[in-house]
Amino acid sequence: MFYLPTSHASKNVWLVILYKTPNQLILAYQQESVPVATISSEVSPDVEEIRVDMADMKVESKPAELLTSVGSCVAICVHDPIHKCGGLAHIMLPKSANSQHEPIPSKFADTAVPALMNGVHKVSGKQNRLSAKIAGGANMFSNLGTNHLDIGAKNIKAVKTALDEYKISLIGEDVGGLHGRKVSFNVVSGLAIVRSFNGEIKKI
Amino acid sequence: MNRQILNATKRELENQPDPKSKGEQEIDLDFLTELGSIGAGHAATALSDMLQQPISIDVPKIRLMQAHLVPKFYNKHDAPTVAVYLQLTERYGCDILLMIELEEAKKIAAIMTFASSIEELDPTMETSAINELANILIGSFLTAISDFIEMTILPTTPQSIVDTFDSILDSFLIKQSMVSENAMVFETRFKRQGEDAKCMLMVFPSQELNELLTQKSKTLIKA
Repeated sequence: MFYLPTSHASKNVWLVILYKTPNQLILAYQQESVPVATISSEVSPDVEEIRVDMADMKVESKPAELLTSVGSCVAICVHDPIHKCGGLAHIMLPKSANSQHEPIPSKFADTAVPALMNGVHKVSGKQNRLSAKIAGGANMFSNLGTNHLDIGAKNIKAVKTALDEYKISLIGEDVGGLHGRKVSFNVVSGLAIVRSFNGEIKKI
Repeated sequence: MNRQILNATKRELENQPDPKSKGEQEIDLDFLTELGSIGAGHAATALSDMLQQPISIDVPKIRLMQAHLVPKFYNKHDAPTVAVYLQLTERYGCDILLMIELEEAKKIAAIMTFASSIEELDPTMETSAINELANILIGSFLTAISDFIEMTILPTTPQSIVDTFDSILDSFLIKQSMVSENAMVFETRFKRQGEDAKCMLMVFPSQELNELLTQKSKTLIKA
């Protein structure tokens, strides 16, 4: 039997199989084409993994994989397909509010979208048309208070409105549901991989 | 003293000068810690009885920080976690979240259902055992507190979910951040057989409940 590598650590296992039984590996490609395709972006040694915390935002022009975990929050991935750069924001709430602390643009949908757009424009040096992918907005605690409306759905709506306003086309999404998601966004290729806790992997 | 440590932690975390917040300053944190110790002590006793093993608790900690900094603070990211969530009903709102690492929850569930190992654990029994565990822990915690403040506290039915540490906190903290920018995390860790049981109880009292507790603490200190 063989199994497919899912991390850096198991890369060696894959190579051993490759040398010993090449036929089986071809079979693996045929049977599990989706996981194999996703691995290729993960095992590349040049790609740096950067974690984006809650209410945080990162914009990168060098090859990087931006990681974040979302529940009811929404991860917004913005990509410049011409200059091969992009950014990710992890927003918490739909609208910015008066704050006693230093305002954090990446915390709210309405301020995070322009901040991301400006960030990407800054690193590319050009005002290229951008594309976006979003993930998250789940409703994990269905009984989170009787007067508590589905904040996940509100977040998704607010993000879509903001993207529309700044003329950023939404080209992929994996939103809603009842589960959390781990998002990894490749800023060069613009590929976003969304992993759920139950092992489901989606490419958007 | 407690407040000084707390503010220092807060500054360290946010790396900025002490923010001026009105509400929180008035809360007697020593009183809340004491209240939490009583509650957690009862919960640990209940759990010891049930598992027939010594369970001890760490002295509970109260941490005040901006809500979005909580996942970063714990730094557990994608650790598989079981979370049981419940709320207090009536006028004074309070959110309670019990978080147990999945492996540990399975170990405890195996002991509860008399399974000889995790492998023999019946998956259907597992969920109900974990819910029951949460009921006992949180129930005894609340009973101790309601005795102390002489008020009836009624919790809602618990809801349990299994997901990664960050995404659970993510959904939970949104609610906190809608009400206030600062989250007050009341954290208790349980120890089983001397080892960290990787089990955490977080309590987020509402502003109203905080005010009520402050009043209670003043009358108790006077009496």
